[in-house]
Amino acid sequence: MGNTVMAHNHAMATAMPYQRTPWHAELHLGFSERDGRTILSHRDHRGPLAIQKMLYPEGDGVCHAIILHPPGGLAGGDKLEINITAAAKAHALLTTPGAGKWYKANGASASQRVVIDVADNALIEWLPQETIVYDAAEAEWRGEVQLAATARYAGWEIICLGRQACGEQFRQGQLRQSLKIYRDNRIIWGEHANLKGSDRLLNSAAGLRGQPVFATFVVAAGLLPPALLEQCRAVTADDDGLTCVTALPEIFVGRYLGRSTQSARHYFEKIWALLRPWYAGMAAQRPRIWNT
Amino acid sequence: MQMPCIHNYGRTIMIDSLALARLLQLASPMLPVGGYSYSQGLEWAIEEGTVHNAASAEQWIGDVLEYSLASFELPLLSRLCHAWQLQDQQQINHWNDFFCAGRETAESHAETLQMGYSLRRLLESLAENDGVQLQLLQKISPISFPTAYAYAVTSWRIPTDAALQAYAWSWLENQISAAIKTIPLGQTDGQRTLFALAGRLPQLIEDSCRVADDEISNFAPGLTFAGCRHETQYSRLFRS
Repeated sequence: MGNTVMAHNHAMATAMPYQRTPWHAELHLGFSERDGRTILSHRDHRGPLAIQKMLYPEGDGVCHAIILHPPGGLAGGDKLEINITAAAKAHALLTTPGAGKWYKANGASASQRVVIDVADNALIEWLPQETIVYDAAEAEWRGEVQLAATARYAGWEIICLGRQACGEQFRQGQLRQSLKIYRDNRIIWGEHANLKGSDRLLNSAAGLRGQPVFATFVVAAGLLPPALLEQCRAVTADDDGLTCVTALPEIFVGRYLGRSTQSARHYFEKIWALLRPWYAGMAAQRPRIWNT
Repeated sequence: MQMPCIHNYGRTIMIDSLALARLLQLASPMLPVGGYSYSQGLEWAIEEGTVHNAASAEQWIGDVLEYSLASFELPLLSRLCHAWQLQDQQQINHWNDFFCAGRETAESHAETLQMGYSLRRLLESLAENDGVQLQLLQKISPISFPTAYAYAVTSWRIPTDAALQAYAWSWLENQISAAIKTIPLGQTDGQRTLFALAGRLPQLIEDSCRVADDEISNFAPGLTFAGCRHETQYSRLFRS
């Protein structure tokens, strides 16, 4: 799950880190269903983290929400906390307006924690744009998803180590990342990374194979039907990035490992188009913000 | 072939004679849990060409040893041994679920459940089990392989660091055996590779004992891709 940024302030988003007081920001969102419409029934925020107005491009059933983090990225000492709850039958899709960034640390690590709580028959889709981890960033990213018995979750993360646009490599710093998914309070998915810039893992064939972009798409909606898994297996990336899918009893996972965040996203969008009718009962519809 | 010049002999492990006999039985490739039928992605790494001789096998297996065994399996096995020593059912369940949730491909997930189930069946049929703990063991569902292994270790009074060593060594031997069959490698090359990688075990086991809860990592993308791609590999000897 990426951190978030306000895309239209380009100068700010690309600025090098500067000395400032660390920001601690929180955003709490609660979605509920009323007569077939998903509404934002609770909203509370502290610090620079906000949500744009709700959009309904797919009709009343699905609420699209865009999360904004006006500072543009996380610098050393910053803390973001995002809490999302979906009450029974609610369906919300959350995304971001542009790439999230973890800047070079100024002696302190930055953290983002996302906690998503989904009630029975509700669905949260967390589909942020990519996250760029600058060289020498000290980043800690924790995601936790709590699902009730019949709740569903779909989420992806697209991570790029170093700013590819200027040929930067991730040589120093650290990225700690974990995603834990629980169903009825029992853990059903746990992915935990503890990456250092100097680590041999970055180049190992069993590790990142020298590739800067790694991305994971996880759907927690039970066992994927075999015919759909076959269709997902037939999907490939636009470039020579490695892709793979697997269907565990409780979780579907798709992955990309390569050089391009765009290619990773496009690959995931193709898989999403195949899977959304299965887990959400409706066709995938691309949020327009992804075009900007 | 890189041979370690300076060995880290590691800590001295004190073990009772009977516990050692039990440990050898647990570590033996004859243990009927089906370990020999899994390559854990190695078969794909060979098919794809990453692993093609003794040196590249040593590189791949050594990296998996470091990024998967020592970063994930061994820290969890040591926590499970501790939980069994305390007969702490909540902790046993917690780390058992944590392990299963961290098996990130369909095959590696199925593998640990099959091996855990088989080991539990075996342990139930061996005489020297303590009744209370056996009931705890039987309640766990589904059970991961390290959870059942930690039970055996605890009920047979095997010191945890000896158990970690045996667990990692069995894994290593199984990987080398898969490499010998598949690349193929000669017996002497296989033994040399095993000897070289086993020389790294003391350090890796020491490191794995220092891993804090929030440093546990199952992040080895190349290994994960190998595991997923193996699901559709055309010609295969192994179940993972």
